[in-house]
Amino acid sequence: MESQIKLDFENFLNKEKFSSSQIQLKKNNFNEFIKKGFPNKRIEDWKFSDLNQIIQTNIKKLNFINSDIKKEDFEITTVKDFEHNKIIFLNGVILKVDFTFEENDKIIIQQNHNINEDNVENSLVSLNSAFVSNYVKFTVKKGYETKKPLIFYNYLTSDITSSALNIRIDIDLEDGSSLNVVDLSNQNLNNNFINLRQNFHIGENAILKKYFLDTGNSPNIKYIYNNLDLSKNSHLEYFILSSGSKFLKNDIICSLNNEYGSISLNGVINLDGEKHHEIKTVINHKDENCKSYQLIKCVLTDKSKGVYQGKIYVDNKAQKTDGYQLSRALLLNDQTEFNAKPELEIYADDVKCSHGSTSGNIDEDSIFYLMSRGLSYEQSKQLLVNGFLHEVLEKITDEKIKIFIKKLTGLENEY
Amino acid sequence: MLSIKNLRAKIDNKEILKGLNLNINPGEVHAIMGPNGSGKSTLSNILTGKKGYEIEGEVTFEKEDLLKLEPEERAHKGIFLAFQYPLEIPGVNTNIFLKTSINAIKKARGEKELDAIEFLKLIKKKSADLKFDEKILSRQLNVGFSGGEKKKNEILQMSILNPKLAILDETDSGLDIDALRVVSEGVNTLRNQNNAFLIITHYQRLLDYVIPDYVHVLKNGQIIKSGGPELAKNLEKLGYKDFN
Amino acid sequence: MNSIEKNIDNLKDYKYGFITDIENIRAPKGLNEDTIKFISNIKKEPKWMLDFRIKAFERLKLLKEPNWQKPKFPKIDYQDLYYYSAPKSMDDKPKSLDELDPKLLETYKKLGIPLQEQARLNGIAIDAVFDSVSVATTFKEELIKQGIIFCSMSEAIQKHSELVRKYLGSVIPITDHFYATLNSAVFTDGSFVYIPEGIRCPMELSTYFRINASETGQFERTLIIADKGSYVSYLEGCTAPMRDKNQLHAANVELIALDDAEIKYSTVQNWYPGDKNGKGGIYNFVTKRGLCKGKNSKISWTQVETGSAITWKYPSCILKGDNSVGEFYSIAITNNYQMADTGTKMIHLGKNTRSKIISKGISAGNSDMMYRGLVDISARADNSRNFTQCDSLLMGNKCGAHTIPYIKNKNSKSKIEHEATTSKISDEQLYYCKQRGLNSEEAISLIVNGFCKEVLQQLPMEFAVEAQKLVGISLEGSVG
Repeated sequence: MESQIKLDFENFLNKEKFSSSQIQLKKNNFNEFIKKGFPNKRIEDWKFSDLNQIIQTNIKKLNFINSDIKKEDFEITTVKDFEHNKIIFLNGVILKVDFTFEENDKIIIQQNHNINEDNVENSLVSLNSAFVSNYVKFTVKKGYETKKPLIFYNYLTSDITSSALNIRIDIDLEDGSSLNVVDLSNQNLNNNFINLRQNFHIGENAILKKYFLDTGNSPNIKYIYNNLDLSKNSHLEYFILSSGSKFLKNDIICSLNNEYGSISLNGVINLDGEKHHEIKTVINHKDENCKSYQLIKCVLTDKSKGVYQGKIYVDNKAQKTDGYQLSRALLLNDQTEFNAKPELEIYADDVKCSHGSTSGNIDEDSIFYLMSRGLSYEQSKQLLVNGFLHEVLEKITDEKIKIFIKKLTGLENEY
Repeated sequence: MLSIKNLRAKIDNKEILKGLNLNINPGEVHAIMGPNGSGKSTLSNILTGKKGYEIEGEVTFEKEDLLKLEPEERAHKGIFLAFQYPLEIPGVNTNIFLKTSINAIKKARGEKELDAIEFLKLIKKKSADLKFDEKILSRQLNVGFSGGEKKKNEILQMSILNPKLAILDETDSGLDIDALRVVSEGVNTLRNQNNAFLIITHYQRLLDYVIPDYVHVLKNGQIIKSGGPELAKNLEKLGYKDFN
Repeated sequence: MNSIEKNIDNLKDYKYGFITDIENIRAPKGLNEDTIKFISNIKKEPKWMLDFRIKAFERLKLLKEPNWQKPKFPKIDYQDLYYYSAPKSMDDKPKSLDELDPKLLETYKKLGIPLQEQARLNGIAIDAVFDSVSVATTFKEELIKQGIIFCSMSEAIQKHSELVRKYLGSVIPITDHFYATLNSAVFTDGSFVYIPEGIRCPMELSTYFRINASETGQFERTLIIADKGSYVSYLEGCTAPMRDKNQLHAANVELIALDDAEIKYSTVQNWYPGDKNGKGGIYNFVTKRGLCKGKNSKISWTQVETGSAITWKYPSCILKGDNSVGEFYSIAITNNYQMADTGTKMIHLGKNTRSKIISKGISAGNSDMMYRGLVDISARADNSRNFTQCDSLLMGNKCGAHTIPYIKNKNSKSKIEHEATTSKISDEQLYYCKQRGLNSEEAISLIVNGFCKEVLQQLPMEFAVEAQKLVGISLEGSVG
């Protein structure tokens, strides 16, 4: 792999026209990645998901550059359920940016943005910085509440295979603004490694609602690195539906930098086959009177594997913190596996922090109860699983998106 | 016994008590009545030494400056507060708490501390006097107690610690009629020529069972009227709103 | 509780901090084959024992010290330590207590552990370990009548070599990890217990560990074997003098419970914690592991950890036998500059295995407390269960509390439940106690003992009172 990636990197730098300082930054990042490689299970953060091995098993020869893509042949299908703004990436390249529903001067978009030096100790972030080319940054102006949600379509054509795609988006919500974002990807039958980085800055009194949806069935290996910075009195709602890809890790770092910020982070991991998904969260409470709430539910069948790692960190300045975290898993088959590492690290005394984690099968007594009312075993089980997941879906506060997600998960008629 | 002169108290820059005067002598039962927010609980908190208030004025207890003392020192001197909301302390057995408390007070007074047997005898006697179910004492302090049980527990603690001045902060609130009777009997049994009571209440109903010598009406941080037991009945008829 | 009141005032300082002035025999400083041979030789060990040590030492050369733990400390110079130190008077092998150096008797008396027959604690047999040797074991003769072996490890190697050879290193292999391997190479003494089939040990067995000599590491080794259907309750206590330099204590404890056997192992650890500024104190790096080898066996760990500059240990259970049970009850308190990284591992291998973890961590001053634990239910361990409750209490905002549980479930028929909370003592609770006449320290001691109650209840009666006192004393000066 090493010679291939070096060659690809050379070609990439030759193809794109970067400034000399950008080239140097990219080279630094590239060298950092080469030094560390894909993370393996000896790295604490990857203890339960050995990405290096997963990539080696699933993608024999990985390309880091995609020269010829037949974009024209690709038919773009978009969501019809609700009106929305769009940013469409095709094979990692921006195809369309469309803010039809918003006032012109309220959304500022910068493409081909330069990368900055950042000291994230993460080889995949380094890889992303080295290879990202068409990096988008956009700003929602002060006090502007977007009228319609924004959907990121992350589409791949069927001829792209064994490729590593590095995509990055930075969003700045200025004070008092609001935005609802949905992440969507298409069904794709090829093995690719998708390395997505998103940075959000949420200004004072601003509200971000973010819905990351990974549905269907695809052999893709995905890593999402999400960094979210919250200012005073801002609010973040984050929802993850983790179900479609062969491997998916959502790595989420939220910082409550100023007082009265709040976070509601909820996730569903719903897996079959030999899928392996992980949600990893770090919530940094850095100032007083902030709240964070996390609920993760995981349903595993066949030979699937679910992982949740969640950390609540409370700085000694962050008195009156309220931090809560719960992960629950249903293991429906003998060969499923659930691993959890819920973590509390607390340096302030006047705080209320707790976490809980449970894993096990469906309660047989409940199944029996439903069967005694005439349902079959399978029906009873399905009903209980749906009920189990329902609680998380109900955390979604954007009604239109909630209905859309329920439809995607087949839960729309249950309740 | 207790003398309060021109007491003013502020919390978070808000003035709650605005020049309160009160004298209590041994053998007397005083009732302070007032609407919500009139400063009733503030008064009981200040008398027992709760932190967080800015205080002006003078409070003496048996000729000693009370305001200088720590809460536990005031308890040692014989001031007892029956809390409006008694605290739950998980894992701590009620009996053990009581024994620690009574011996802390005895020690401070230079009296001989009770051993386990003496303590149990005392508990047995006091529980019987008050017709209390002793079982409650082997449970964790106030944890899972009903509202009534918590209040009864406060009265039992009062009778065991035998204070000189007992302050009852809204002890009657949330009590059913039977519990109210038990609580009142407790107070009446304890009442004698050497101790005094300060009953803080919103309603008159406790005063049907415990007849006070004096009734004071507290409004906007001041005592606006004082009188005998008949004042409470008047107040009940008129309500605080029209009372001036 | 009453005892706390009485004692709280006269126990402001670490009362076990005295030094016994006694002449020692030491091995020359340094970690090498000669030192190991010196230890083995002075104990007149059989060849297999020396081979065991040398094998461990060879292994040790390949190992690095782990560095993933939260408490960081300056590098230990293993060549600058004494690995064997024993009172000279023990050289003549005193045959009875009458022949024992009076200074040693006096030391234990001062520690509240009288060894003389007339003063012995009722119903508790004690093995007293002083630096690198066991100086006396009480009630030995009474116990042997029932076939119970309770003696020092050195004696067991001589007299019960079959048992020792069979089980030593069977739970903690010599290849395990740096400190465990170091212990296997240089361990000096400790206790050996064997409870024969069907016997319920009639008294508490207890070992009291005392570090006295300076610049000396204590490497003790304890092995407890509970044969089929037997029961034993064992307790260890630890103290050390106040010294400016940190001292290393790296023990290995192995427990083996055969079919239907139960071992209850309690620890009250009160090694010297260092002074208020974090100077000195013991590094307590201990490997404790129990193997529930037989079906229906049970191993229960209870620990009250209040001492040491750094406590780093995870008493664990390997639940191999079907229906076996593992329990871990822990109170860990850190104050001033103490640090702790402690917890447990519950490895479920057999069917219908159960484990329970109750951990109470309290941090005050500038200290740092970490709970780290692993619950691992393997694919074969059908119908197994774990319940974990981890509570932390913080006092002030200069200390830290950290909870990291690793939870692995590979069995859909098994169930894991984990809960953790962090809280503080509320001002309202303190005020309520003060209104009833308690001072701040009494109030805190009372509330903290309430917080720890579930664990304190697990201790044998005789030690519960001592532990309650310790809980109060360890937090002295933590509030203004």
